Amino acid sequence: MKKPDVKLVILGDVNVGKTSLLHRYTERRFKDTVSTVGGAFFLKQWGPYNISIWDTAGREQFHGLGSMYCRGAAAVVLTYDVTNWQSFAELEDRFLALTDTASADCIFAIVGNKADLTDECASVPHPEAERDACPCPSPVSTTKSHKQVVKEDAVALYKRILKYKMLEEKQCQAAEAMCFETSAKSGYNVDLLFETLFDMVVPGILRKRAEGLSQTVDLMECKGTGPKSSCCY
Amino acid sequence: MDRKHPENEEALQSKSLSWCSPCLIDHAEPAPISTNVTLDVGDSELDLDGPSLIERDSFDNELLEKQTEVVIAERADNIDDDEKEDKCGGLHAESLDQEGEQMQNALNEVDSYKSTFSLASKVQPKEDECIQKDKCELGKLDIEDEGSSEDRDLSDSVSTDNTLEDSSEFGRPAPVLAGSTGNHIEGPGGRMSGPSSPLLEQSGGSSALSHRDEDVTAESWRLHRKHVFVLSEAGKPIYSRYGNEEALSSTMGVMMALVSFVQSGENVIRSIYSEDHKVVFVQQGPLVLVSVSRGRQSEQQLRKELQYVYYQIISMLTQGSVARIFERKKNYDLRRLLAGSEKILDGLLNFVDSDPSFLLSAVHCLPLSSSLRDSLSLILQKAITPNLVFSILIAKNQLLTIVQEKAVIEDARLEPADLHLLLNLIRASSAFQAGEIWTPICLPLFNPDGYFYAYISYLDPPECTVCLLLLSTDKEAFYSVAECKRRIEESMRTQNSLQSIAAIQSYSVVQVGVSDLRHFMYKPFDVPDNCKQLTQFTSPEMEAPYSIEEERHRLFDMYRYLHSRIHSSSRPLKLIYHVAEKETLLAWVTSKFELYTCFSPLVTKTSAINAITKLLRWIKKEEDRLFIRYPPKYSTTPNPSKGSRGAKGGSDRQDMTDNGFLSLL
Repeated sequence: MKKPDVKLVILGDVNVGKTSLLHRYTERRFKDTVSTVGGAFFLKQWGPYNISIWDTAGREQFHGLGSMYCRGAAAVVLTYDVTNWQSFAELEDRFLALTDTASADCIFAIVGNKADLTDECASVPHPEAERDACPCPSPVSTTKSHKQVVKEDAVALYKRILKYKMLEEKQCQAAEAMCFETSAKSGYNVDLLFETLFDMVVPGILRKRAEGLSQTVDLMECKGTGPKSSCCY
Repeated sequence: MDRKHPENEEALQSKSLSWCSPCLIDHAEPAPISTNVTLDVGDSELDLDGPSLIERDSFDNELLEKQTEVVIAERADNIDDDEKEDKCGGLHAESLDQEGEQMQNALNEVDSYKSTFSLASKVQPKEDECIQKDKCELGKLDIEDEGSSEDRDLSDSVSTDNTLEDSSEFGRPAPVLAGSTGNHIEGPGGRMSGPSSPLLEQSGGSSALSHRDEDVTAESWRLHRKHVFVLSEAGKPIYSRYGNEEALSSTMGVMMALVSFVQSGENVIRSIYSEDHKVVFVQQGPLVLVSVSRGRQSEQQLRKELQYVYYQIISMLTQGSVARIFERKKNYDLRRLLAGSEKILDGLLNFVDSDPSFLLSAVHCLPLSSSLRDSLSLILQKAITPNLVFSILIAKNQLLTIVQEKAVIEDARLEPADLHLLLNLIRASSAFQAGEIWTPICLPLFNPDGYFYAYISYLDPPECTVCLLLLSTDKEAFYSVAECKRRIEESMRTQNSLQSIAAIQSYSVVQVGVSDLRHFMYKPFDVPDNCKQLTQFTSPEMEAPYSIEEERHRLFDMYRYLHSRIHSSSRPLKLIYHVAEKETLLAWVTSKFELYTCFSPLVTKTSAINAITKLLRWIKKEEDRLFIRYPPKYSTTPNPSKGSRGAKGGSDRQDMTDNGFLSLL
């Protein structure tokens, strides 16, 4: 088995489009998915590195597993639905606490999905999507849903997260760079999101390697030294 | 399953009464008989002139309504006289030929009873009332005899402290129930004018999503063949098969009112019969499940289906956590936890309506040469890791092979129902097939309070027909279990197993080489002793004329009908020869097997019996291919410290429900 070098976790409420985002990125198309059970594991080859991606279930039913998926994660994607304020509020209420088990230098991204429903720019088929001859019709532009969460809200949340994690704003990525608005349906910003994140986690891998520490989420290692083992760098 | 037992007993009682002497010897279980003589007498009287005939008549009438053409052999399906069948089954014919002969005799003898039967049914002027009365009396007897009997029919228990008028009143609310949210229809009469075939409507409407948004006040909503509702004891809607639960909250309120009304009299509501609907209630812990069906399915079958729905919910949440949630907060909205799972329940109900596995409580495995099956089992056997308990290989929604941990197999067995739930889960979550799924899942019959962790992955993307399912008791074991999959994949590649699997075809009934035989379902009871852990059945592909969905459903309905007659709690049968308009069916249950066959309509009794003899011989010959005969085991050489650490690993809800099972390993 190819050992994953680094772990990325996608979190978010039910039906915000976590699976669709990943599906758009890996398979270049949008299709109806059913509600994920538990979590789904994917291995992405990124240059010489293996990046494992956990697509988790948003259902509260599987909440108990969340911290397990997050253990030692190098990046967490917090996903909400731009047309649903509740899904945004849930990020702070329910999901943020799960990331306690993530790596201490974990990178956070806040992603507002379904932007095609509210923004003209997102609904125009992305050149890339067009190239792939995406069979799905682009959303009808006449009836735009009301946008309930704007990007400023996401930026504010990002800053609160840094505070929660007791990280210095200056040492981290700029909030504006870590808040995305995407559309899994049209493909808008999806590649940008994943590729930005992949690029950001690579230095982490290199640092770990240099220190001779396996960043891989090694089960035995985690167990031996407790959940926070991967944070000692 | 505390429910099963009394039913079996009941069956035994009614049998043993009518044919005391031979049965006593055969079954050697005389105990219950002596205590219950009065009840038995009532029961058998009921049998002779009562409900079963009526039931069949209405079945025939419904058929006739559709067909107009009168079937000549209209009465031929009465040949289900228990006495003969019992003899026949009871003797356990040694050779197949003998069995056939006996059946022939039985059927001939039955012929002479036919006239009596038809007479009896004609004499009955007001069948419904008669049944009510009979059942009431029966109910009273019940109570007097046994003191408490929670497990009787609704009509029975209701009648114990209500008069006859009262119990018939319970027949009335049904139409109101069905239409209480809209302008409901006046009487039961004008209702059935809908589509000529309910199945057409059903299959046409099954196009997913729209079901949730369906208008519950529309006539089309009411015309669904089978509704299923789940609500909490506080009357909160949890699930509805069609339409939005929210919109149905008043309807569910009425249901809850019915339940609590009967409960206040210290009774349990079981079912309501109206002219064309059956309403069946099942109460399980803090959940109430209701099925409103206008098909011909028996109450027993509907009850079992509701049980499956309950199990599916439990498989996602565990019994303990559901109980705890409602203990803490009576009016908790369980949909919060089940959000997104509706499709799994939808899938289950569609599965139940189209797959005989549920009806037979048995697993359908893909026919496979025993050498290939063994080689697959060996691959699974070799790829193990601590705390792995089940390795299951599935192709085309059917079982290829299953390998179990040694310690597990001795302590408990995997029930077909648990496997059905797993299969349904895989089906329902198959839309995103590229990844590897890791999810907690409870197997309610194995242990309703503990979680397994299931690893699900397809071995042949992008086709996604061959699915590997590995169950572990260790929540953290994902990576080691995923490693097992790599090894399995690797071995399968070297042995070219995937190609062999892709080449597997289920078999055609033509291969059996029996003319006039169109389809059958065969469920043996005595696969060799050492592998009693999994009940299986075999059945050929449905072919013309059953290649159309509508016809398939029609045949399945008839199987269901025969099944309900065979397993009727008041009057179980052993042999039914049923002549319908488009086919002739023969169902036969012995101590060794349960068999349902479907012949072309012009078959004679003699040739049907000969055909069955041949069929049984063929099955015997092919046994190794049709069934998993010797399920292999492995030992994962447990590392107890690891298992227990897994259970204490966090403060998650799942962990609190982890159970004694871990300590077994």
